Amino acid sequence: MMRLLPLAAALVLAAAAPATAATWTVDPAKSTLGFAGTQTGEGFTGRFKTWTGTIDYDPAKPEAAHVSISIDTGSAATGDPQRDEAMPGEDWFDASKSPKATFEATGFTPKGGDQFETAGTLTIRGAAKPVTLPFTLKLDGDTAHATGKATLTRTTWGVGQGDWASDQYVGFGVDVTLDLTAKRQP
Amino acid sequence: MSAKAITPAERYTAVAQAFHWLLALALIGIVIMGLAMAHAPLTPATKFKLYQLHKSVGITILALAVLRLLWRLTHRPPPLPADMPALEKAGAHGAHVVLYGLMIGLPLVGWALVSISPFNLPTVLYGILPWPHISALSSLPRATKAAWEPTVAFVHAYGAYLLIALVGVHVLAALRHHFIIGDDTLRRMLPGRRRPIMPRNPAE
Repeated sequence: MMRLLPLAAALVLAAAAPATAATWTVDPAKSTLGFAGTQTGEGFTGRFKTWTGTIDYDPAKPEAAHVSISIDTGSAATGDPQRDEAMPGEDWFDASKSPKATFEATGFTPKGGDQFETAGTLTIRGAAKPVTLPFTLKLDGDTAHATGKATLTRTTWGVGQGDWASDQYVGFGVDVTLDLTAKRQP
Repeated sequence: MSAKAITPAERYTAVAQAFHWLLALALIGIVIMGLAMAHAPLTPATKFKLYQLHKSVGITILALAVLRLLWRLTHRPPPLPADMPALEKAGAHGAHVVLYGLMIGLPLVGWALVSISPFNLPTVLYGILPWPHISALSSLPRATKAAWEPTVAFVHAYGAYLLIALVGVHVLAALRHHFIIGDDTLRRMLPGRRRPIMPRNPAE
């Protein structure tokens, strides 16, 4: 019986090992998914009020990491009533037909220190296009904090139809900023 | 110029005068905005803001003009000068009917124009109060909207030119009555001077 102890200990350790490849769930109260664009040459900023995210990440195997973010397109808010009413419309996010935008990425490429990069697929209005997101990631016990920014061209996803498909009134470039805090799932 | 003071019965009511001068101010403002939006070399940001303000003032004019029409239909205006030729009276009445028609019709055409615009841009009055599109127009296919928008824009623009011309005639006619004919037509639309009140003591 005593001779089995090391084996038991090994089994326990083996069972514990996958725990480092944890799933992390975004804490919406401490996370912001923002965007910044230009309208008639003037900048504006906004954020998505409703979105969720989960991240599978093992610091020992960043190449196996996976991030999955789901955004309610109808929850975009900039504080301007006219713009906020327009954004869910069919010319922009078309939230009634495409209520969710998603970002799926596998594999974090370490860029030194806290810096990483992940190449994924961003789907808006049903259009799936590649996006590379550079980010910093800090782990502190059961809390992960990531910040990143990607500059997108809105027309890649057809955001801005018809007369809005030009940059006459609304600029093409949109900076999407991510500031997320996630908790390790027990 | 008539020397006799005109009595309250010969004057428009305070409410009618308030409608008249508020609408005069709003119409001058919206016409200047409209002309600037369409023709002045403005930055896109200024032009955009002007369009939004033009829509807000336009709907305000629509509301004021409808209320004013209801007031006008329920309150007999003071009579025109008795010695005014019948043809001039008919012309004056006709011009006023058209002015009322334009004050109500032009905002409605403007509302139709915003609704049929392929931009499909929501209207938020003064940045606060959301104002709906006319859904029969805003729900049209984009190609149909693009095909019809110039026609509605044409009607809105030339209706505005007609309004500008009629307001010009209206002002000139009022000035002619006041300065050339010397009757009370213009003074009917001006607030009456307070009758001098006997001071209770000379110090007041």
